[in-house]
Amino acid sequence: MAARTEHDERTDTSASPPPARRRVRHPVATAVSVFGELLITAGLVLALFVVYSLWWTNVLADREAGRQGDTVRNKWADAGPGALDTKDGIGFLHVPAMKNGEVLVKKGTDPKTLNNGIAGYYTDPVKSALPWDDEGNFTLAAHRDGHGAKFHNIHKLKNGDPVVFETKDTWYVYKVYKTLPETSKFNVDVIQPVPEESGVKKPGRYITLTTCTPVYTSKYRYIVWGELERTEKVDKDRTKPVELLG
Amino acid sequence: MYGWIWRHLPGNAWVRSIIALVLLLAVVYALFQYVFPWAEPLLPFGDVTVDGASAGGAGVGQ
Repeated sequence: MAARTEHDERTDTSASPPPARRRVRHPVATAVSVFGELLITAGLVLALFVVYSLWWTNVLADREAGRQGDTVRNKWADAGPGALDTKDGIGFLHVPAMKNGEVLVKKGTDPKTLNNGIAGYYTDPVKSALPWDDEGNFTLAAHRDGHGAKFHNIHKLKNGDPVVFETKDTWYVYKVYKTLPETSKFNVDVIQPVPEESGVKKPGRYITLTTCTPVYTSKYRYIVWGELERTEKVDKDRTKPVELLG
Repeated sequence: MYGWIWRHLPGNAWVRSIIALVLLLAVVYALFQYVFPWAEPLLPFGDVTVDGASAGGAGVGQ
């Protein structure tokens, strides 16, 4: 954009004194000039793509996530106890260490779902357990950058940090017990029902967060494991568990 | 190229500047609305899941 105006002005000043036709340029000079302008244009388009990826997709995703989150909360408020409805989302993930408020969790990890600024639980290649299951691994994925960047600060999570999942009537309080800063994207074992790579051997109620790493790329995956510590009934004021009050 | 466009815009310098600005905004809009959303899944920056199959497959590739 800047280059365009600059160039326009320059052309304008140099071109305006003689009538309309300018001095004839050598064809090679013209070719070089057009090539240079194309390069500048390509650079600007790439810069705009960065702006799009790291800013605009967040704007869109946060707006959409907020809207979908409101839908879920309204539904919870309206409906009495009823059948579980996983279509609009099963609840909200609160991770104080990530300082990103609440993240709506929905079924599936396909890009279309995740691009709305939410976290998704795996249905494939290993099916996720749900928090209220007696045992299993509740496995989640969300974007590290762009599209809401809900797991952007995953590297801030340390052992012992709480990860709280809120459903319509229960708070599930997990404690992080292991992080894996880098693994292959083919390492499906990290989301097994008993994630032995994290050092556990027995079935239990686990939670696994996955996202990409290093930031701004998708070369590897960053994994955080937690284990359920306790659950709390949601009271009528939706009082938050102590972990979220700090 | 841009010089050529400038010379072919009608009006005086002010009118041309305004037309150029509108054209520029139209291009940026088209990029954000159509080109980038199309290009993004083709680039390997947004894959967040672990996946047994090779990336780019249906569903969980991204």
